[in-house]
Amino acid sequence: MLLRGLTWLVAFQLLGTVLNVLFLPMLPGPIIGMVLLFAGLLARGRASESLQLAASSLLRYLPLLLVPPAVGVMAYTEAILDDFWAIVGVLVISLLVSLVFTGWLMQTLIRRKQRQQEGA
Amino acid sequence: MIELHWQAAWEALIHHPLFGVAITLAVFQLAYAAYEKTRWVFLQPVLVSMTLIVGILLLCGIDYDEYRISAQWLTLLLGPATVALAVPLYLNLRRIRELFGPIVITLLVAGVFATALGMALAWAFGADDMILMTLAPKSVTSPIAMLVAEQIGGVVALAAVFVMITGVLGAIFGPELLRRFGVQHPAARGIALGLTAHAVGTAQALQESDECGAFAALAMSLMGVMTAVLLPLVVALLL
Repeated sequence: MLLRGLTWLVAFQLLGTVLNVLFLPMLPGPIIGMVLLFAGLLARGRASESLQLAASSLLRYLPLLLVPPAVGVMAYTEAILDDFWAIVGVLVISLLVSLVFTGWLMQTLIRRKQRQQEGA
Repeated sequence: MIELHWQAAWEALIHHPLFGVAITLAVFQLAYAAYEKTRWVFLQPVLVSMTLIVGILLLCGIDYDEYRISAQWLTLLLGPATVALAVPLYLNLRRIRELFGPIVITLLVAGVFATALGMALAWAFGADDMILMTLAPKSVTSPIAMLVAEQIGGVVALAAVFVMITGVLGAIFGPELLRRFGVQHPAARGIALGLTAHAVGTAQALQESDECGAFAALAMSLMGVMTAVLLPLVVALLL
């Protein structure tokens, strides 16, 4: 049942929003909801079929859901054009360098751990 | 003779509350089909859709606010979709536990490095404090980035734009760049995409494999939490 899973996802997002207003103003509601759902799944020890179905259906369309916020760029074209090269330079260089560094670091650590386990 | 009200019909069409939803759905499917067919990196679906929709809105004379309200029907689902990331995270728990040490170290070292490098470059390029504080949270998912930018004195709306540009760049160049540098492990690729390119990177990682997507979701959410909690504290201590 897709709907049952979807209901849980919405319920956890709303619960996250309530906790955001009450206790955790620095964390957005959906992130709190995700942490809570994860904790709930850990406590329960399994993810129901309906939840898996709802989650995979929504996540398949995640790129689609990100399109409207991306269109928001059009509202700031002037501000971006004013500092175009500085912004592009910073965004491109820092993204590419940190992306490669992150991947490299993680892979190196994984390999080292595997070697240690093999050696033990 | 019946007089047809072309102008009125056109106005009713483009200002209908579903018009934004309709063009988003149609354009996205078109962009996605083009990407599937060519597998050309610059045809990244979010980027192509964004460009086409901005074009359509400008041609029709619709401003962003009107489109945003109309597209809310889709944007609202971003919340439950974020919550849904807990499921692949849970399903890949065993793999994540095995790699707990590397994940924590990478997250702390690379997370601080990514944020510091962005701010250092912006400073070197001569950006003012306001832009600096807007650029600082660019690696995290937009709701967190907007909150953090506000707390440390940046421009909220511009922060969302930097986040989107970063994410789209990461999704376009990330997979190829990681391959060039010999990063093949799905966990390492996922962590790199999720940590630096948040949701757009995670969406790209989900296309590679479930495991890659799970690690991207993990990195995205932990980076988000870390930035939300630590960045305002660090800025408050330094300034």
